[in-house]
Amino acid sequence: MEHMESDSSTRIIKETFPSEIVSIIGSIFAGVVLTILIIPFESFSVLILMVPAILSLRGNISGPFIARTSKDLIIGDFNFNTLIQNVCATIFLSLVISSLIGIISFFLNEFIFMVKAFSFLTFLIIPILSILLNLSISIPVSTFLNYIAFRYGLNVNNVVNPLMTAVDDFFSVFSFYLILILLGVP
Amino acid sequence: MLILSSLLGLISGTILSVNETILYSIPIILLTLPALNSLIGDISIVLVSRLSTHLYIGTLPPEITTTERLRQDFIGLFITIFLSFIALLSIGYTILFFSGKEIVNPLILIGILFLTVFMLFISLFIILFMLSIFLFRKNQDPTNILIPFTTSLIDLLTPLLLITLITIFL
Repeated sequence: MEHMESDSSTRIIKETFPSEIVSIIGSIFAGVVLTILIIPFESFSVLILMVPAILSLRGNISGPFIARTSKDLIIGDFNFNTLIQNVCATIFLSLVISSLIGIISFFLNEFIFMVKAFSFLTFLIIPILSILLNLSISIPVSTFLNYIAFRYGLNVNNVVNPLMTAVDDFFSVFSFYLILILLGVP
Repeated sequence: MLILSSLLGLISGTILSVNETILYSIPIILLTLPALNSLIGDISIVLVSRLSTHLYIGTLPPEITTTERLRQDFIGLFITIFLSFIALLSIGYTILFFSGKEIVNPLILIGILFLTVFMLFISLFIILFMLSIFLFRKNQDPTNILIPFTTSLIDLLTPLLLITLITIFL
């Protein structure tokens, strides 16, 4: 707890800025994947519809996961049970929300853009598989980073979130790209 | 909350899809958009996480008032976002330069990106502080509600503000 009490603005900058640089580099790579790998898809105008929702879901799901884990570590509640509960809730929420993203994207495309790019099933599967692939990397890495940051006396709130944004942003877009390739999306 | 945030994400996608030509003609926008969202999102998540922890351990009183703790958080996060913004632009334009893509009106675009980031940061700092206090008083953990709310709001507002400012100034 003394980590938080002795936190000055200088400490916030010292701990957050380096992680933010890593985050920016990761996100710029996500931007590079978007500009170089996703733009050439014929169905780009439909695919770009899902990208902010998938990136947003990544933040919405893994952000609270990291925040809950770091809070558990700081207040001394971190154990195997709380971790498992946190992981199960994260995966369940991801499945429900990514299915909704697929369904709503399908209807948005049907009624607004009317681009006959791919089937309903493809619309449904793209966000689900992209998110699951991303979580399989994000959950273990963020838990490990939270634990290590805490053990080395760093403020986990300042360090882990920006670092994980880099990992998550890049892998969200890259997983999305891999799933498009695997499903043979035009 | 998660459903609402996904809807906001899809609206953001619709804004991008409708303005597809801007994305093709000004490559720096698509290249830096995930990084801009991350930058504002990260700082907001750090802020919410810090506020929540401060409230739980009692280093911040659960009332809407300016304290030294809050001032330190504001200064720390403001300087961090400013330095990170400079780094983001440097990395973005370096990649753009070496990729051989067209660099369109760099000074105006830097101004637009600066306005977008700082308008969002200052307004979010005030809103998130007030909401954290409100939720904590209602015995809710601010992180569970505010992080999904903020990240999706940012994912919607960043492209919206960016495209609006580009339409006005370019």
